[in-house]
Amino acid sequence: MKRLKFAGLCIFLGMAMNQSLAVAAEPADVEIPQSPAAVRRGAEVITNVCMACHSLKYIKYGALAQLGFNAKELDTMRGGKSLKEPLVSDMSPDMLKEGFGVVPPDLSLMAHAREGGPAYIYEILTGFYHKPDGSVDNHAFPGIKMPDVLNFSDAEGPAQRGPLEKQARDAAAFLNWAADPHAAERHHLGYYVLAYLLVLTILLYFSKRKVWARLD
Amino acid sequence: MTNRVIAWIDQRFPLTSFVKHELTEYPTPRNLSYWWNFGFLAGFVLVLQIVSGIFLAMHYKPDIHLAFDSVQYIMREVNYGWLLRYLHAIGASAFFIVIYIHMARTLYYGSYRAPRELLWWSGQILLLLLMATAFMGYLLPWGQMSYWGAQVITSLFRATPWFGNDLVLWLRGDFTVSDATLNRFFALHYLVPFIIFGMVLIHLVALHAVRSSNPSGINLADKDNIPFHPYFTSKDFYGLGVFLIVLCGFVFFKPDFFLEAINNVPANPMQTPAHIVPEWYFLPFYAILRAIPDTLGGVVAMVMSIMIFAAMPYLDRSKLPGGARFRPLYRLAFYVFIIDVAVLSYVGAHPPSGVLVDVGRVATFVYFATFLLLPPVSILEERWLRARGLPPGLETLVVGEDDKVGAEK
Repeated sequence: MKRLKFAGLCIFLGMAMNQSLAVAAEPADVEIPQSPAAVRRGAEVITNVCMACHSLKYIKYGALAQLGFNAKELDTMRGGKSLKEPLVSDMSPDMLKEGFGVVPPDLSLMAHAREGGPAYIYEILTGFYHKPDGSVDNHAFPGIKMPDVLNFSDAEGPAQRGPLEKQARDAAAFLNWAADPHAAERHHLGYYVLAYLLVLTILLYFSKRKVWARLD
Repeated sequence: MTNRVIAWIDQRFPLTSFVKHELTEYPTPRNLSYWWNFGFLAGFVLVLQIVSGIFLAMHYKPDIHLAFDSVQYIMREVNYGWLLRYLHAIGASAFFIVIYIHMARTLYYGSYRAPRELLWWSGQILLLLLMATAFMGYLLPWGQMSYWGAQVITSLFRATPWFGNDLVLWLRGDFTVSDATLNRFFALHYLVPFIIFGMVLIHLVALHAVRSSNPSGINLADKDNIPFHPYFTSKDFYGLGVFLIVLCGFVFFKPDFFLEAINNVPANPMQTPAHIVPEWYFLPFYAILRAIPDTLGGVVAMVMSIMIFAAMPYLDRSKLPGGARFRPLYRLAFYVFIIDVAVLSYVGAHPPSGVLVDVGRVATFVYFATFLLLPPVSILEERWLRARGLPPGLETLVVGEDDKVGAEK
């Protein structure tokens, strides 16, 4: 009995290990903030900077109201667009392809679509540096076609880099929300579901015990 | 009133006698452990998958231009669509975990032995149907790994002699995995679960003919059997509660634990991912496929690795009851097999390079060796155990068995 349990445990640990090895390919020791304020600041970085080229086609302007933006702030962000419209860049894919050689990927799912998750986004944004020949490259993604949008490669010392790193962290926090906007609701509901199931299972256990007591 | 309605039905349909025979009086060994809960759990997950799947199908679009977007639509716009999809995705992994435990229990306790061969074989068919359903379902989100996984697995059929290319073309409905493939996979992914449902009924008919095996390995006398209801209904529901806590823990707090990040990128036929891996439940078989240098040989080995379970009733020649419990060599083989499957899973999850290639080959050899060495090992083991004198517990069981056979004669 015990041994079978142990074997079962081994096989699942083995499989779980595979899974975690596959997911945490490059664990970055970057703490991505989850606070609503950081997500809101990130939304402004994304709409002001990233959306020059990138789109977030699965997010509608109206959905940003969930983050606590008021009507006036939303109006500035969306310009002339309706609340029902998705966050799509004004630059057409064709123009972008001509300018950069690639169509910039949609960012809606980016925080879930790369190994390393939101931390990887932070590493890309803060990975830019000057090569000896003066050209700019990226530590996290050598040969990246995206320009150094935060101008990180020119920043010197913690005083200049600090604010840029904060912007990158906020942008990653927003993209983390965008990839999974129902996460908070899911966790909230999850606690109730688990509490309910726990009580139910305890009751089922005692009812099982009571039924089986008849046998003795 | 109720009695009159039931009496009316009973004259026309065996309702009361059916419930009595299959549930309230169905004799079940009282010594079943919690390892016997997993058959019921598998039935529950099947219903969960069918119900969540039907609601997902109401919003999903099997079209290469719309499929990925429609999944995001379900996740973001449909009321509790995220719950449906995560239940279905985690449910698929849960299905395999439950089925693999169910199979491991059968192997450990020797439940596949006479007279339960047909029960075991109907389970083998269920395993194949489940694998086919899971494979086709994984294409539907139309992510990178969906696409390339299907591309790799369907191209394996090219190894078929004479008409391999035609077979692949016929399966995909196109020269590559395409809109035609997605449509047929969706149609079949919707159909096969109902065939599984029918097969489960056959599995249950087979079970109720031969009754449950039990940890002692012998057919228990009537006094050791208890009615299924209320004893095992209450036990199964308690097990279900524990299972649901684990399932919901994943659904609500770790929903993408089993999902590959790259599958959140829409399928792109022009860009092959650096590293194509199947879902975790196919990893051991995938490792066996890659362990054989020849494609046809690899495919044959992979199919054999799944089908070889069906031969268990004939590979195991021992007549000692109780499965691995009273059989040290068989028990050793069981654990070697379990560890070997874990090693194969690890190998299957990683790119084949350096020492992993050799590890994969050795593990593949060990996988088949544990099965193919079983006939001589089980005969020698039985002789050795009988010569040494059976343990006291087993002695009584075997004596009891012999008496029973004598009485029947």
